[in-house]
Amino acid sequence: MTTATRPAALSRENLSDAISQLAAGGALIVVFIYLSIASDRFLTSDNLFNVGQQTAVTAIIAIGMTLVIITAGIDLSVGAVAALSGVVGVKLMIELGLPPNLAIVVGVLVGALAGLVNGLLVTITQLAPFIATLGMMSVARGLTLIVTGAAAVFGAPADFRLLGQGEIGPVPIPVIALIAVAILGHLVLTRTRLGRYSYAIGSNPEAARLSGIPVKRYLTAVYVIAGALAGFGGMMAASRVNSGQPNFGIGLELDVIAAAVIGGASLFGGRGTVVGTLIGGFLIALIRNGSVLLNVNTFYQSVIIGVIIWLAVIFDQYRRRRLGGAGE
Amino acid sequence: MKARSIVWRPLIVAALLALAVAGCGEVNESGGGGGGGGAEKKSGPLRLAVVPKAVGFDFWNQVKTGAECAASKQKDVEVQWDGVTAETDVTGQVNLLQNFITQGVDGLVYAATDAKVLNDVSKQAIQQDIPVVNIDSGTDPQPKEVPVFATDNVASAEKVAGLLSDKLGKAGGEIAFIPFQRGTATNEQRAEGFKTGLKEHPELKLVAEQASQSDYDKALQVTEDILTANPNLKGIFAANEPSVLGAAEAVRQAKKSGKITIVGWDASPDEVKGVRDGVIDALIVQNPFRMGFDGVNAITKQLREGTKPSSGDTGVTIVTKSNLDDPEVKAVLKPSCDNPPS
Repeated sequence: MTTATRPAALSRENLSDAISQLAAGGALIVVFIYLSIASDRFLTSDNLFNVGQQTAVTAIIAIGMTLVIITAGIDLSVGAVAALSGVVGVKLMIELGLPPNLAIVVGVLVGALAGLVNGLLVTITQLAPFIATLGMMSVARGLTLIVTGAAAVFGAPADFRLLGQGEIGPVPIPVIALIAVAILGHLVLTRTRLGRYSYAIGSNPEAARLSGIPVKRYLTAVYVIAGALAGFGGMMAASRVNSGQPNFGIGLELDVIAAAVIGGASLFGGRGTVVGTLIGGFLIALIRNGSVLLNVNTFYQSVIIGVIIWLAVIFDQYRRRRLGGAGE
Repeated sequence: MKARSIVWRPLIVAALLALAVAGCGEVNESGGGGGGGGAEKKSGPLRLAVVPKAVGFDFWNQVKTGAECAASKQKDVEVQWDGVTAETDVTGQVNLLQNFITQGVDGLVYAATDAKVLNDVSKQAIQQDIPVVNIDSGTDPQPKEVPVFATDNVASAEKVAGLLSDKLGKAGGEIAFIPFQRGTATNEQRAEGFKTGLKEHPELKLVAEQASQSDYDKALQVTEDILTANPNLKGIFAANEPSVLGAAEAVRQAKKSGKITIVGWDASPDEVKGVRDGVIDALIVQNPFRMGFDGVNAITKQLREGTKPSSGDTGVTIVTKSNLDDPEVKAVLKPSCDNPPS
């Protein structure tokens, strides 16, 4: 319904996306103001850059996840793939003396390759995305343990710290990378065929196919992008701790999905934006950061984040009904 | 060679599992002959399962070295090493241990990820005449048949407050505590000991306490935030390897190396490097090699000779920049079968 008549549908979608971002953005602002008042250390450039740095890995991976969720898919493997990329990249630097920049590229390629396998499993063998990527989550984690013998890989060259710890002026490089990925992601979603087709496939795959969209090719590309961003995030996380941690990213996929969902992405497909996902990611990060600044017991963080996920989705569904049952 | 054995081990486990499922009744051979006298097995090959809290940390790899060293010095003893990937995965560890019990290993040496939950698993093994030895972390209650080879965490953590106080002097100051996993026995014991020690040093003021969930990245993030919230922080006690690495990294990145006293726990190569570089002031170093070594020896002795082993304290060493290169400290830091720590 929403696909063939794209311009008309998009404007309604745009409106509904805007409302959803407004709600999440409102929550973000409320938390921000509260923390500014509650902690005199919150509103310092050091702390805000710290939050940016802490959010970067999750948010970068969440942008790839948003793309996947828009196609009505899901990628459970991103945490494990990020770990695999991280340890492979770090190992190559140590054992083959690969320069850090090249190792980062290899890390991204490892992620893209995992994404390609996910994409082919979804499109060629017709596995449900949940199953295909659940399998990849296990495979990638297993490969990570095999590659490392389950021990953390230390001894990466000092230059490798740049990606996760470097700064350009006062701004940490992870924040700059996040901004770059976000702008690219936004442009891809709003200005390219890949973006438009992703919304179409997610809204109604059958209609998308009938209207001549090469669904399989574009769907595969979406998983490759998500994998590549997971790989990039994994390299950045490895650089933050200048080592390859085989246990990195356990449960990360849930944070990433939560960020996208809080930002208005619908698990039924067809909806989601980069801006929304960024808001979701920062909301989660602010709650974590604030809890430490205020020395709140860590257990409450999980409860708060869970409640926010509920509220986001309940609000989303309520809004859909009010807008006259847009979508399925 | 090493990579191969890692690839093969899960396959062997899988094959054994398949056999166990296929042949149901034939599994518990080792228990069959035991009867009232326990699972004594005077000769023939012994297959021992050694299960850490999690694979992937240097500490547990040293346990493995110790366990394999003890096995290599005994006749016909084979160690099967397997573990879950996160210390938080209690259910995963329960399943793994139950699989080993079903397979009918001759003995079980393990570190409990959760004191209460794992108690049932120990009981289950004992009922099936499979002797159990705990290393590093025991269960609650501790069955009388199961000895524990571990660090006296409470007593060792009590010393931490003194170490911080020595460094900070009479003026003292604000300090932070990075525990790792609430609810695990080891964590609670270290927290208890540390806080008992603090009572004797009123000049040390505990202003922040945030758990790392035994995750390097998480430890880095909480320490960054603690440093932000407490600009006058003078000292940090981080209670296990990932917590220490994360805390040290945060202090380093905040360019406060040397200005904040860090007392840590365990001794992975990067922690030792931190001591050498002056970011970390002191490490409470346990003897994981000894845990694996003593654990396997005790269970072997029990199986071969029927003796009831008794629990043992594996001891700690306080490592600082000044004693880093002493031979005894080196043996603890880099234990090998040729140069075992005492």
